[in-house]
Parts: sequence; C-alpha cells; structure tokens
Amino acid sequence: MSSKTIVYSELRSSKAYYILLGICAVLVGLGALSFFHLEHQGHHVTGMNNQIVWGLPHVFAIFLIVAASGALNISSIGTVFSKTIYQPLGRLSALLAISLLIGGLAILVLDLGHADRLLVTLTHRNTKSIFAWNIWLYSGFLALGALYLWTMMDRKVNRFYKYAGFAAFNWRLILTMGTGSIFGFLVAREFYTGAVMAPLFISMSFSLGLSVYILVLLASAALGSREVGDLIVNRLRYLLAIFIGAVLFFELARHLANLYVTEKQGVEAFILKDSRYAALFWVGQIFFGSLLPLFLIFCKKFVNQRWAVRLAAMLVILGGFVQLYINLIGGQAYPLTLFPNAEVSSSFFDGEITQYSASIWEWLLGLGGFALSVLILLIGLQVLRFLPESLADEVIEPLSQA
Amino acid sequence: MKLGLVIDLDVCVGCHGCAVSCKQWNTSGTTGPLTDYNPYGKDPSGVWFNRIRSYEVGDYPHNKTINFPMSCMHCEQADCVDVCPTGASYKRAEDGVVLVDQDKCMGCNYCSWACPYGARELDRASGTMKKCTLCIDRIYDERLDEYDRQPSCVITCPAHARHFGDFDDPNSNVSKLVRERGGYALMPELGYNPTNRYLPPRVTRPIPTNDVKKKSLISSVKEWVNQAVAR
Repeated sequence: MSSKTIVYSELRSSKAYYILLGICAVLVGLGALSFFHLEHQGHHVTGMNNQIVWGLPHVFAIFLIVAASGALNISSIGTVFSKTIYQPLGRLSALLAISLLIGGLAILVLDLGHADRLLVTLTHRNTKSIFAWNIWLYSGFLALGALYLWTMMDRKVNRFYKYAGFAAFNWRLILTMGTGSIFGFLVAREFYTGAVMAPLFISMSFSLGLSVYILVLLASAALGSREVGDLIVNRLRYLLAIFIGAVLFFELARHLANLYVTEKQGVEAFILKDSRYAALFWVGQIFFGSLLPLFLIFCKKFVNQRWAVRLAAMLVILGGFVQLYINLIGGQAYPLTLFPNAEVSSSFFDGEITQYSASIWEWLLGLGGFALSVLILLIGLQVLRFLPESLADEVIEPLSQA
Repeated sequence: MKLGLVIDLDVCVGCHGCAVSCKQWNTSGTTGPLTDYNPYGKDPSGVWFNRIRSYEVGDYPHNKTINFPMSCMHCEQADCVDVCPTGASYKRAEDGVVLVDQDKCMGCNYCSWACPYGARELDRASGTMKKCTLCIDRIYDERLDEYDRQPSCVITCPAHARHFGDFDDPNSNVSKLVRERGGYALMPELGYNPTNRYLPPRVTRPIPTNDVKKKSLISSVKEWVNQAVAR
C-alpha cells in the first residue's frame, strides 16, 4: 500500500458537525417511529396494495444497497487495479460502503411484514431463492468490507490488504449482480425479465456509489477544513462521466431489446410514453440524471469548478433514485398480461394500471434509513482515522505518477 | 395424488358466488381473517383468494363474454415456492397443494413478484402473503359428509362450473372432463405446469340475423299446425 505518505486523522468536531449529527438523529428517530407505527397498524397504512407490493421504502433500500457496493469501488480501483492515486481514498470508501449498506438493509428489514422472522431465512436456506442468496451476499459484504478496512488501517495485517481488496471487489460484483437478478430472474413481470438487469445494476452501482462518494468527500473536506486538490476531483469527475455513459448504454440496450419483442411493446409504451412514469424517465432520469451531469462534467467553462462537480453528483443521485422508482413502482403498476390481445375487466380492479402514492410513513422509513447511513458515517469519521489530512495536488501528484 | 380444480368456462356466468363463498369460508378458517380495507368506502378492497376476470371473444354480433375465475393454480413447478427465502411457501408432496405457512412468512412479498397468475394475496394487516388453500381445512375433514369435503367454491357454484378432484387418477371426474372437453392450463408456455385446468367454451352456431327471409302467412300457419299436431 503506497499511501504511507498520507496522514490520516479523525474529523474534528465543530458546530456544523453536531447540527448534522442532530438532524440525522431526529430523522433516524422518525424512521423508527414509522417502523413501530407500521408494525402496530399493519402495512395498510402505506400506499402499497396487492399489485404494488414493494413501495417507496424499497426504492430507498435498493438505492442505498446499490450505492454501497459502488462506493467500495473507489477503494477497489486502488487495490485491485493498482491505481495508487485512489489508495488514499480507500478508507473512506470502505466506511461509506458499510454505512450505506447498513442503512439500506435497515429499511429493507423494517419494511418486511414480519421483520422478526428474518432469522427463518438463516435456518431454512432455500438455495433456489435469489432473495435468500442476497441475504447472504449482504451479510458477507459487511464482513468483507470490515475486513478490508481492517487491513487498510492496521499495519499488523497490512500484508493481507491485497487479498482482502480482491475478495471485497469480487464479492461486491456478485452482490450487485444478485440485486439486479432479483428483477432479472422474474418471468412474471414483463418489464424485468432479462440477463441485462445484472450489468445494468452493476453500472448503476458504479455511478451512484461514486456520486455519493464525491459528495461525502467534498463535504467532509469542507467540514474539517481539509484540502482536496483539482487533480483528484477531476479524476473522479471524468470517472463519473464514464459510469453515467455505462448506465445509459445498458438502459438503452434493455429498452431496445424489449421494444424488439412484440409482447413487451405494451409495457415499454407504458413506461416510455403513456404514463406519468414517462415524464419521470425522460425528464428525471435521462435529462436531469444523465445528460445535464454530462454537460456539467465536460463543459470547458466548468473545469475545476467544485459546484459543477457537486451538482453533477447530486443530479446523478436524483436520476438514479428516479430510475429505481420507475423500475420498481412502474414495473409493478403495469398489470400482468394473462390474456394477450384481450381487454380484461374485473370487479376487483385486476388487469388495470395500478396507482401508487407513498404515504408519509414510507417517506419517514426511507429517510430514516438514509439518515442512519449518514449517522454511522459521521460517527465513524470522528472516532477513527478515515480521512487524509490533505488531498492537495502536491500530495497526490507523486501517487498519480506511481 | 394431484388435487386441483377444473373450471368450465362455457357455463361460468361470472356471478362471483365462488369468490364470496371462498371469502366466507377462509376468513374464518386456518389462514383467516382475510382483511378488508375501506369496506364501506369509495374504493373498497381486500384479500380475495378467488378473483373473476372477464373479457370478450369475437366481434359483435358473434361475440361472447368469457368469465375467467382465477385462484392459485397449484403449479407443479411453483415459482412462488422456489423464490421464498423462508420456506413459508411450500408444496405438499402427498397431494400437490401449494400452501403458505403463516407462522414462517416474513412478508418480503417476493412470491407476489414471481407468480405469473397474480394469485398471491398480500394481507396488509397481518403482514403475510396468503392464497387459495384449496380449502385444505375442509377437504380432509372426516366429520363432514363426503359431498362437503370439497372446496367451498366448488360446492357453491350455481352453474356447476367448478369441479374438484385428483388429476393423478385417470378415472376421476376432473381427468375425464379434461380428456373429453379438451381442458387446458393457463399459460403452459411458462413451464410451471399448473394443476388447475379450464374447459374452453363450446363452439356455438352463429345466430342468423340479416339473411333470414320473412315467412309467408300460409307457411307460418302450417308450421303452427304441425307443431300443435306433433304435441
């Protein structure tokens, strides 16, 4: 590990730090309140129904889980691909990955109809279930992430750093493939079936994880008055552009493949043209979530402008959230095609487009999980040495030439 | 044994008797209650194991409404069982009935994503997934008369459109009906091999409308006399 020249230190506490900590604690409290309310009242107080069985909390949860695996990439680039310039960023990357995953899993578990029965998945072990696989993959990711972090931070075990990095990188690839395959392995819902879901989710994890990382890095630098030079920021900026392009490519491949298959043209028209999800797709995901960030990254007027990088990262996060919302909610809202070429009616509203609007409890649960991630991150940054004292160009430049 | 239902689409009138009877029996049965949401409001909904869909075949005036009752198909290769992380969804080896163990279900709802027939029912009050049990708590109840040891929907159906039996027995009523009437499974191309079968509507002779010539008075009188003599 060539980051020996880099000095790490804890985040110094300040007024802004405690205000942020307080806001997160309040949001976590509201999330817990929401969980207890759902536990007591049942899920009928949510916007979920018999067709839309995964609502807004799942969008938050999958967003955080996908971003978690992506956040670890920054560290992997330094370890697995030996790009030494990224090595000083490794500790923060692993901590961020762990905190995002814990936040996402907290939402996922607390949104279950019976969270207390999660243990049954460990005693039963259905190897045919991709959902059951994911529970093992998430647990393994937390363990490997912690191990990886340990090898980065403790000189006694530093010789295992490469092995831990390789293991964590491969595990995270399998994890995101598993998350994508939750949708890809489905044949019942027309919008999902397909192997492309796995690489699509991997590319999403790259762009979302990096965006969150950029925001956290710049915010923690501002909070602790640390310098982050243009060299490292520009590296991350152009890397983000590549990841945005990858997401666009897989999204395009997916929609074109679907449009080519006649039976899927109905659901494609629903998502791309005929529903409120169409506006979300074109305006939210494509324009604000992809094209505008690319413009902010490549426009020569904004070179070395921090606000442009920050805004681009925020927009990618917004676009990714919208993308997951369209995927989860839009895909479920479209009715099952049981009788092709027939206009089906039912006194139970079956066979119709299902409406969904999230309740306040779902928002609180989702935001609570997000705040839990930030809370863990803030506490972690203050108690252990995750942040480099300086990422100024003169500190980073020797590493970039290594 | 392979227990299941045969539903005759030719005679189903879409009266919803099966759905109501199912709801009545099961709400007080082993998987009940089947929760209702907003039952007296503008948009009532709730847990129904049996739902009837309707669609038209043919063009007017040669069209026909098909009422298609749907519940769990008790598939041989049930995807809901494959995807269940807790093993709450299971298929009984002895009779092929697919059930959900309400004490194991953690309410992840992934089986609902997997079922291509939309047969899974999320009970948002209990937080668990429910579905047609083929009235498992009455078909084996020896305290009941033999006729009553059938699913509630089968006994209730006023048009006798529903039949219950063992598909493994080639001489059972359901096997015979499927053989003689060309019973088919819904969406067999998915490969889940659902147990329940549907009997297609019989081909009906079109009723002539425009091309019928008006009879003369003499021929109408002759026809009437012939009918009267024949009686």
